[in-house]
Amino acid sequence: MRTDITVKIGGEAGQGIQTIGTLLAEVCHSAGLFTFSIDDFESRIRGGHSFNLLRISNEQVIAPGHIPDILVAIDQRTMNLNKATLLSDSLVILNAENKSDSDADIDDNSCSEADLEGCGSNNILKISLNRLAKEAGGLITANTVAAGCIFAVLGTPFEMLKELLVKKFKAKGDKIIDLNLTAAKMGYEAAGTVRYHKQFDWKPCKTDRIVISGAKAAGLGALASDCRFFPFYPMSPATGVIASVVPYSGKLPIVVEQAEDEIAAVNMAIGASFAGVRSMTSTSGGGFCLMTEGLGIAAMTETPLVIVNSQRPGPATGLPTRTAQPDLLFVINASQDDFPRFVLAPGNPAETFESVKKAFYLSEKYQVPAIIMLDQFLATSQVTQQNFFKVNKDVERFIFTNIDINKTLSPPSEYKRYAVTDSGISPRALPCMGNIMVRATGNEHNEKGEISEDATNKVNMTNKRNSKLAAMKQEMDLPEIFCPKGTDNQFFLTGWGSSKGPIIEAYEILKSDKRANEKGINFGYIIFKDIWPMDAERLKPLIANKKLIMVEQNSNCQMGKLITQETGIVYNASILKIDGRPFYAQYIVEKALEIIS
Amino acid sequence: MVEPKDYDNDFENKWCPGCGNFLIQKAMKQTFAELNIPPEKILFVSGIGQAGKTPHFMKGNMFHCLHGRALAVATGAKIANHDLNIVVNSGDGDCYGEGGNHFLAAIRRNIDITLLVHNNQVYGLTKGQASPTSALGMVTKLQKHGVTSSPFNPLATALGSGANFVARGFSGEPEQLKELIKQAMNYRGFALVDILQPCVSFNKINTHQWYKDRVYDIQSIGHDPSDLAKAIVLSLEWGEKIPIGIFYQKESIPFHSRVGVLQDRTLISYPFDGEKTAAVF
Repeated sequence: MRTDITVKIGGEAGQGIQTIGTLLAEVCHSAGLFTFSIDDFESRIRGGHSFNLLRISNEQVIAPGHIPDILVAIDQRTMNLNKATLLSDSLVILNAENKSDSDADIDDNSCSEADLEGCGSNNILKISLNRLAKEAGGLITANTVAAGCIFAVLGTPFEMLKELLVKKFKAKGDKIIDLNLTAAKMGYEAAGTVRYHKQFDWKPCKTDRIVISGAKAAGLGALASDCRFFPFYPMSPATGVIASVVPYSGKLPIVVEQAEDEIAAVNMAIGASFAGVRSMTSTSGGGFCLMTEGLGIAAMTETPLVIVNSQRPGPATGLPTRTAQPDLLFVINASQDDFPRFVLAPGNPAETFESVKKAFYLSEKYQVPAIIMLDQFLATSQVTQQNFFKVNKDVERFIFTNIDINKTLSPPSEYKRYAVTDSGISPRALPCMGNIMVRATGNEHNEKGEISEDATNKVNMTNKRNSKLAAMKQEMDLPEIFCPKGTDNQFFLTGWGSSKGPIIEAYEILKSDKRANEKGINFGYIIFKDIWPMDAERLKPLIANKKLIMVEQNSNCQMGKLITQETGIVYNASILKIDGRPFYAQYIVEKALEIIS
Repeated sequence: MVEPKDYDNDFENKWCPGCGNFLIQKAMKQTFAELNIPPEKILFVSGIGQAGKTPHFMKGNMFHCLHGRALAVATGAKIANHDLNIVVNSGDGDCYGEGGNHFLAAIRRNIDITLLVHNNQVYGLTKGQASPTSALGMVTKLQKHGVTSSPFNPLATALGSGANFVARGFSGEPEQLKELIKQAMNYRGFALVDILQPCVSFNKINTHQWYKDRVYDIQSIGHDPSDLAKAIVLSLEWGEKIPIGIFYQKESIPFHSRVGVLQDRTLISYPFDGEKTAAVF
């Protein structure tokens, strides 16, 4: 039987909320459970309000939980913000300090009786986190105390927690291990006999699954693609992609270089790629704005380039630590004039790994830029996934080598970097690698790479670059379409990228929803992963005569517009979420039911 | 042996007759010949402006990139393969204006490339607007009442930012210019050669004769290039007399020797082994 619990841990930034969440997820993982964890935080290092929302299940979970079954309120604000949403059978672990005069160093942000007013739950477990931490050996262990308490109410055997803590703090020495074990034990015992009414079967269990974020999957995808150079400029929520490859420096031949700005980052990637090394940079919308000129020079010089755009709400600085899907039309159209490019939008970490590999392959095969669309939600959510690391033994580079040159060119000086071919793809040799010269320019140029203002040449070269599009379209996977059987009265929840999980879960809920069934309405879903170039010819027959409800995290229904632009098919309705918070399945369900009522 | 003419190509030159770029290009070709580097083994990276076109008018591998970005592209290429001989052709607007941030970063990284800044104190390609090195008060078509910003001092900035090879040449002293470029090419690390040159079409003040009357060779008066304090004092001299030569030169550790993975071999030369990669995941 499916058991599904959502734990919400809230407090101030700096109180170790994320650490508790990670510890919980790791212990769950060691018991073979599935987790989906999101961190919600403000753009600040201390204070404010942040929370970790951890969904735990004994079956695969594809979307975050929403209403907490267990609320852990480390501060007053968490209690006040959440108490109205709590159900009567929810369990609350409350940081309620019982202060005496000697407790000057215990902060007074804990909950009081007054904070409980209006709380929907009757099950409240009051714990003096800081007092227990102090007794355990230091205030710094307060989050370990909290973790101990949470594991107690979840019914986790203490041994499993102990094993993980020992492993986690091994490098820091016995003293730190003992300190944390003591703290965890105190928290565990403070729960007494209180247990949440739903319980898992806790047994150590080895699986081939891992817990991973989209950011890390993107980084590993790049390493699996033989990407060796990562120039970047820090920006939330894109830095995690670069951070995820840093631990592999020294183990693999990679250089991670912090550039002076995003313009430098993208141009350094282009320079390295021109010289023959696969390179990738990662940024968010604002940084992508600065990179758009680089996109143009990559396109004009036909230099392969891979960029990750981890989206956040804008315009301008917008909401730096929040999520959105507002850049789709921007990245498809970014940079002046028009040129072919790939835009891929994976729906979960496993797909992200594959999309990054595909981006490198396609970018080099067609000598065009490839952009991978993540967002804060996908980049930072920690999700249980089947171990999907398929690393090919070799990677295909599509480079015109010295052997090719000597075989096909006589004399070698006949080499034309931008030779017009049927496919539009010209032989890409590397500079200083042989007896030819590779000449690239951002000016319009002739086949040899010389500046040319000739009218016929301009037309020919533009056509050459654009002629790649036909084959590029064939490389695109069609959207994942689930079509329900039965009634003709069907609506399709249609989205792209990171909303995949919440959309599919919403479909699962709607399938057995009374209100939908009474109206004789069936729901299906359509999820786009490979977005651009869109192959209207193959796509059109698949989505024609379907009622589309666009589900997107932007205010102007960008995917809906794109479908209309490319296929002429107009969507019926839209569910657009623009508050910077991720989609929850229940939100989509409610909005979908409103639409059909 | 490589000859200067090995760098000649038949692409139509588009500079104005009498442009200082011709002499700079000649000095480049002579340098590469003397260093015995064939055009197949050199990579020119250039930005936008008349200087940025230099690689088009000669043989060699070339990446003619966007305005101001030559140093960023060159940095990427050098990290990918530090065996490459990379020469960057940039101008005063390209390098000190649009690319100012990359100029500072390239100095700090000490990336092992040779930067030649064709500095004519004016924008040539866009027809005569002020550049970052134009004199205060210089009148142009668009700065009708004279330039209102003080000129940028590239040498003082470079020295103050920790550059380890800083030189200034003059297109009208081609023999010395060739030597400066040669020293810069031989230098292991970031090497700046700021090259004064006339713009015959748009700068009627800083003409060939104007420079000729003012420049003097600091080596001929015994300047010691290891003396940073003296170099900084010289870099501030501008007016009746303008110093040219090697201002400062100090042995340094280039970027690729600061990065562990690049110490033994070039980044591009590592083999890829998917099994090894999978094993470290």
